[in-house]
Amino acid sequence: MKILIAVGSKEYSGPTLRVGMKVSHAFKASTTIVDVGEKVSSFNTEFVGLARDRMESWNFNRPGVEVLEWAFEFLAEKKFIEPKVIKAGFPKNTLVDTGGNRSEVYLKGTVSDEVSLILRNGEIISELRDEVQSHQYDVTIIGGSKKRRMAHDLIQYIDSSIFIVNNYNPDQSYKILLAVDDSMATSKTVQYGARVAQAFDIDVDILTISKIETFGEGYKNAANRAAKFLRRCGIQHQNIYKVGNPSDVIKEIAGDNHIIVMGTSTRSPLKKFFKGSKPLKVMENCQCPILIVK
Amino acid sequence: MLLPTPGGLTLEGYRIIIIVITALMLIVTEPISLPAIAIYILVMEVYFGIGSANDIAKSFMNDAVFFIMGSLMLAVAIIKQGWDTRIALGIIKITGNKTANIAFGFTAISAILSSFIGEHTVAAIMLPIGMTLIHFTSKNDKKVQNLSAVLLFSIAYGCLVGSIGTPSGGGRNVIMIDYLRSSNLSISYIDWMIRVYPLVLIQIPVVSWVLIKSFPPEYSQLDSGVRKLVIQVAKSTELTGRNTVAAFIFLLVFLGYIFFSETIGLGTIALTGVLMYLVGGFVKWEDLNKNTHWGVILLFGSTISLGANIKATGSAEWLAGSVVSFVGPILNALPFLGDLMVTIMTTVMANVLSSSATVAVLGPITMNIGSDPLHMGLVTAIASAFGYFTTIATPACTIVYSSGMVKAKDFLKVGWKMGLVSILILVIYANTYWLFFN
Repeated sequence: MKILIAVGSKEYSGPTLRVGMKVSHAFKASTTIVDVGEKVSSFNTEFVGLARDRMESWNFNRPGVEVLEWAFEFLAEKKFIEPKVIKAGFPKNTLVDTGGNRSEVYLKGTVSDEVSLILRNGEIISELRDEVQSHQYDVTIIGGSKKRRMAHDLIQYIDSSIFIVNNYNPDQSYKILLAVDDSMATSKTVQYGARVAQAFDIDVDILTISKIETFGEGYKNAANRAAKFLRRCGIQHQNIYKVGNPSDVIKEIAGDNHIIVMGTSTRSPLKKFFKGSKPLKVMENCQCPILIVK
Repeated sequence: MLLPTPGGLTLEGYRIIIIVITALMLIVTEPISLPAIAIYILVMEVYFGIGSANDIAKSFMNDAVFFIMGSLMLAVAIIKQGWDTRIALGIIKITGNKTANIAFGFTAISAILSSFIGEHTVAAIMLPIGMTLIHFTSKNDKKVQNLSAVLLFSIAYGCLVGSIGTPSGGGRNVIMIDYLRSSNLSISYIDWMIRVYPLVLIQIPVVSWVLIKSFPPEYSQLDSGVRKLVIQVAKSTELTGRNTVAAFIFLLVFLGYIFFSETIGLGTIALTGVLMYLVGGFVKWEDLNKNTHWGVILLFGSTISLGANIKATGSAEWLAGSVVSFVGPILNALPFLGDLMVTIMTTVMANVLSSSATVAVLGPITMNIGSDPLHMGLVTAIASAFGYFTTIATPACTIVYSSGMVKAKDFLKVGWKMGLVSILILVIYANTYWLFFN
């Protein structure tokens, strides 16, 4: 299991890193924390590289290193990295340029062997897509954004499950809202939902929504299988059956005290373009964290 | 493509305009990489019958491309020499501790150096000096936001106003010289300096004044910052004999530009300098290879090829004629309006595209506006350096922006003022001082 956590600054990315490392801990996953800096004009990338070399010779960090340093301190404080690494301090001298506007520093982790911090420069979606494609991450964790386009692009282009840490409040008590149906993605969604519930030590509401008054066998079986799986994992849960428009119902039940876990849309890209998709509508409407399982 | 060819324009001329428009859209929006755009231009020129495969290949490479390649490699060799500590000390010795004087010193040194060795090299050398001074003044960036803007923009805008001073100040100047030569107009290195360098000297105090007024610095004196900077420089490694030889090689290159550029070309001289640095072991080929953006060189080759073919197919004259027929009577009555129009057009395009690509594409067209191609050619080359508004227009602006200490909106905040002032100064300058040369 490989998890990618995208952070931007210590002012805004604290909740994302906290939640991301909790999830990573639950999955015992190899973890990469990435900061995507401003895009540099393609005409001048080499000049900027030369200027940054000079900056380093005057003991200046390139932009973004301070974000990685902050992430390192967080990992050290929560003991996600080995004491020997913590004692040596943030190893900025081993930030290796791995090509394509990407630099990486490896750390020895406690939860899993591999923890790395990387810096990239460019347009955020494009850089995350490239990172996920070239390093085969299973889950990408990122903070919420008010831009509608951002939500759409994340779902459309990032080829991994996506956890959007939207308005996460560490003092709030959350429950998991696990949306199930008769689609193929439900089985994986339930497994991910269970792991997240274990990571946060919280209960699960299994939500089954039908657009018509009756619930088909497929829907009932999916809800029962989810309940059975959670029971085996020792997670407290309850089944909720609702009729209505899925995105409206999810919004109503989720409120601001649930972490939504749902599968990705099964619609074709063309249909998604014209009619939208459930995860996208939920992302736009809801004010709580959401994990979209792909 | 399906529309009829406009009257007075050849089919090849019409097709090259289509390639120009699509290529510009691709460069601005960048849905594909820059080298891919260069290849697109190459293959489309052949497929559209603009010339044979051999002719198009030849149009990709000339002295201007050699110069761009050479100056990018020279930049790598020079930056690696670590002259920045000496430059820092030199500035401080001259300017003292007063912030306004230091800002003026940064602008002047950046302008004068960039006029000879290129803005990208100077910006990369000067940036850490400026950042160190800011950092030594206050470690809290928020307390020195205006000071950061003043010093870093002094570097960026100093480099811009200086880059017009000599042909070797920027690839765009060499591209223009190449176009002028193909129109049987010759301008030597010294001639260029005599015509343009006074404009550099006029703009240096203007830049400094506009920056100080736009971003009033938090500190009027930088006593502590300057003292710490001097200590840091004193601790740095002494310049070695090899550093001095490296400087001497650049001096030879500079003398070559002055005395031999008309006979053997600026590109050949720049590459001779690169050869000397390589043979002397001052820089490794691996470093040059790693730090030279070959894709950009390919793109400049392709835009120069576009420019040459705009001229060869007659579309440059057609486009210029269309503009002149539209505003001709006004231009006849008020000739300076032609300069104003070309300056604004070039400035806008340079800010969304890139300064060198702007000259490559726009040069052959603007040279046909008015009766004096040399006059319009110089106006275009100079105006292409007015890339004050955006972070992408010129290498100097991108380098300063990459420090993370100035924001994109700061470029807009001060850029429009500098743009307006520079446009006015250029129009007045071109219609007064240059009259002595006619």
